[in-house]
Amino acid sequence: MKRAFLAALGLATGLAVPATAQDIKVGLLLPFSGVYAALGNDIEAGFTTALEQFGGETPATFEIVREDTEVKPPVALAKAKKLILQDKVDVISGIVSSGVLGAVRDMVHGAGVPLIVANAGNDEATGEACSPYITRMSFSNGQVNRPMGQWMYDQGIRKVYTLAPDYAAGRQMIDGFVQTFTAAGGEIVGQDFTPFQKTQDFGPYLAQAKSSGAEAVFVFYAGGEAISFVKQYDSFGLKAELPLYGSGFLTSSLYVNAEGPAAEGVITALHYVPTLDNPANVQFVEAFKAKTGRVPSEFAVHGYDAGRALIEAVKAGATDRESLANALRQVRFDGPRGALSIDPATNNIVQPIYVYETVAGDDGLTQKVLAALPAEADPVNGCEMATPVSN
Amino acid sequence: MFRHTPLRYAALVLLASAALFQALTADYFGLEILTEIVILAMLVIALDMVAGFGGMVSLCHGALLGVGAYGYAILSTKVGLTPLMAMGGAVAVTGAIAWVIGAICARSHGIYFIMATLAFGQMGYSYVFEAPLFGGDDGLSGIARLDLSFIGLDLNDGRSFALFCLGVLAAIYGAAVLILRSGLGRSLSGVMHNEQRMRALGLTVWRVKADVFGLSGLISGLAGAMAAQHVMFVSPGLLSWTVSGEALVVVILGGLGTLVGPLLGAAVFVLLKHEVGALTSYWHLVVGMILIAVVMSRANGIFGWIEARFGARIERRAADAVRDIDPREVKTDA
Amino acid sequence: MSLDLGFWTLQALNALQLSMLLFLLSIGLTVIFGLMHFVNLAHGALYALGAYFAASAAAVGGYWAGFFLAPVAVAGVGVLLYSGLIQRMRKSGPMAQVLVTFGLIFALLDITRIVWGDLALGLEVPSFLAGRVALLGVEYPAYRLFIIALGLAIFAALAFVLSRTQIGAMIRAGVDNDAMAACLGINVERLFFIVFCVGCALAGLAGAVAAPLLSVTPDMGLQILIPTLIVIVIGGLGSLKGAIAGSLIFGFVQTFGAVLAPQLASVLIYALLAAVLVIRPVGLFPAKG
Repeated sequence: MKRAFLAALGLATGLAVPATAQDIKVGLLLPFSGVYAALGNDIEAGFTTALEQFGGETPATFEIVREDTEVKPPVALAKAKKLILQDKVDVISGIVSSGVLGAVRDMVHGAGVPLIVANAGNDEATGEACSPYITRMSFSNGQVNRPMGQWMYDQGIRKVYTLAPDYAAGRQMIDGFVQTFTAAGGEIVGQDFTPFQKTQDFGPYLAQAKSSGAEAVFVFYAGGEAISFVKQYDSFGLKAELPLYGSGFLTSSLYVNAEGPAAEGVITALHYVPTLDNPANVQFVEAFKAKTGRVPSEFAVHGYDAGRALIEAVKAGATDRESLANALRQVRFDGPRGALSIDPATNNIVQPIYVYETVAGDDGLTQKVLAALPAEADPVNGCEMATPVSN
Repeated sequence: MFRHTPLRYAALVLLASAALFQALTADYFGLEILTEIVILAMLVIALDMVAGFGGMVSLCHGALLGVGAYGYAILSTKVGLTPLMAMGGAVAVTGAIAWVIGAICARSHGIYFIMATLAFGQMGYSYVFEAPLFGGDDGLSGIARLDLSFIGLDLNDGRSFALFCLGVLAAIYGAAVLILRSGLGRSLSGVMHNEQRMRALGLTVWRVKADVFGLSGLISGLAGAMAAQHVMFVSPGLLSWTVSGEALVVVILGGLGTLVGPLLGAAVFVLLKHEVGALTSYWHLVVGMILIAVVMSRANGIFGWIEARFGARIERRAADAVRDIDPREVKTDA
Repeated sequence: MSLDLGFWTLQALNALQLSMLLFLLSIGLTVIFGLMHFVNLAHGALYALGAYFAASAAAVGGYWAGFFLAPVAVAGVGVLLYSGLIQRMRKSGPMAQVLVTFGLIFALLDITRIVWGDLALGLEVPSFLAGRVALLGVEYPAYRLFIIALGLAIFAALAFVLSRTQIGAMIRAGVDNDAMAACLGINVERLFFIVFCVGCALAGLAGAVAAPLLSVTPDMGLQILIPTLIVIVIGGLGSLKGAIAGSLIFGFVQTFGAVLAPQLASVLIYALLAAVLVIRPVGLFPAKG
């Protein structure tokens, strides 16, 4: 076993030997097996697309070490330690699930390694548990859903029933919506949290929503559960009498075609849809399609912007862990999602949110953007950002 | 009853020296893997005690490990006990819970026992997953390791921690051997071989089962407390049935009812996972194929195969252990 | 909340629908166990395979192509498994079987990922089952009624085969005492083979039927395994009566638990399982003793 490890180590360092000051070693910490493998692959494809596209803007070279988290926090932590202590990476990017982020948080913070979060959305990561070394280029659970409360109220909806899986992210997504919806004057007539990844049949909950007297239903589901939910919602014929709204992951372009016609007419809010009409997005969609043959999802754009942010940081003169951490927090650029910046108070991304409707297109389902809601920084959520690291 | 054959001694010495060598010389990631193996080994010893020597094939040992880990995490971070007291508390709580589960499930056999323990394990998993007090699925962080600076050990150093875990594992192994050789352990063997006869002899069968299950729970709890300190983070995934399933696979892979075999199984399983995982993200396929191949070789796991091949004689008891788990098989064989 | 009669009818139908889906899965597993004493943990993986076969076939020839092809294809996989692995494992103990079927879960999971990718697939309901039907004063999705009808039909067919036909009598004899059945001149090995393949076909059918209702993902087999095991253990192993009773109990507890005690929804079924095993350690209707 020893020999194999040394061999692996030798290989890694062998590649790194011609190290100049401008050789940046990146650890990609993503799930390549387990339930989120599809997300991991999309993020990685986005990340490499960005390096190919913008890598030429800086003389620095980027070397990627990829590690599979298996969506298991202990495994992810062991891999993070390997990346930091053995591979000696300059920066880590990735992390899909909030549980994994919680597990590696203390490690990267303590070791002073910059981490660009490319998915995990738990509010605490840029709240109570914020760190000058952790910069989030994806979203936070509250951020995506908060603007939707006011927007739905403005559409004349007054009574809403909410549904989400019973886990931390599900609750935070729904809370974000409920806060602003009730603040605007709306009423939540009922709420259900369904057992996470254990619910085969949403029928019982749908029947309750139907008899609750609500005017609309707002939900958060993702992945396989989103597909089951949207299909079952449609099969009960609820879409006509009880319009379905939700967090945009419900009809993500990654799997909306598996939902089929059932997803038509569903209105959701998200920080990215592939049909956004801006030059950066057109360029991104083209490059990503050429690479993978698929339309990019919001997960792909997380990876893409994480890669872009890294290059921007390097362009700003960052060379090592400390300077990268510092530069990453000051990154701002116009990406496929629009104008992005990092909130210095929390290190969370500030980005516009798009309300979109899923409609039938020429080949499969596509997204029609109904409104672009202005970017708003998250509340500080108890984040006490340590003084910025020295320049 | 458990016996040390010369072959087992030899295997133990070999494993221990390999582990020590690794602990003293390995680089960073090697230590990480060693610690993972050692903690898994603690759990599979606990499982082999009940499954290999008592016919109680449990699918809740992952959950017991999780209870130990969460117990340690909560007692040390939320209640504010010292790490040592928190460890004691976590171990005691896990043991008590295991005793109750053992007592309730004592009447079930075979697949029914497996499912009953699975039910308890999944109850714990669902509860922790959804309980905000325990951090839900985001888990709990900020867990400290034991402070052994008074004997000059800094456990925050990976090498010291690996050595410390090895020490704990040695103690656990010794305790398991003592338990299996005690009157209780002998009664357990009797119960596994013929429950009715033991009952006729006046033995309170459920008490024997519950007691051993409780002791096994103590060990699982200790393994959990060590796992929590190793990762310094706990998440509900620790309690999931797949952890129990993997532990069971490791026990069977190594050699059910040999105590030494599961140690070997733990090392093989973890190494296999890491080595194959480094090559392909489809490591499940390769590991699955290897498991099937091991079974097709018709041996009682790797160590069973070694014993059959090189041992003076095949341990009959191991074969009996396999047979007794399904009461029906006993009937047809009798 | 206006919880009228219609609401409860709707929920009862939901419960029945879930029960029938689980029945299709559990009946194969329980008869295989009853006859062969073989715990096939890979049954869930076969169900996932069925869903994938159905999705692939449906992409070419429409829903019904998948519906009829998936059971046949999964039965084919069953033939391979039986002749390659299971037959040789008949005499090894249950522990070896646990290990080999665990290995199969691992292998089949990754094979589906390699062949079909990590992305979820979808399957459309056939057009004439896509609407809703007015029944007992509620509008209920036709496809769900189809599942209920299919489950009941399979139950009736199996009940008939098991109680009224010669092969049924042979299976019952085999479940009761395979050595004695063999002495009476029944070709037990062939019986095992047939039952195993039929069990696999039913798992494939369940996958094909569930695919339009749920999503087709690599881990769907793992997610359904535990509910299926709970069903057969509550019902008692090896019996048709146990499988249907267990399925109904699971379906109704899960559905009405979600309505009446949502906080306990995920714990309830496990508590029930533990309670059943404490009171009746071998389930409600075991095939024997």
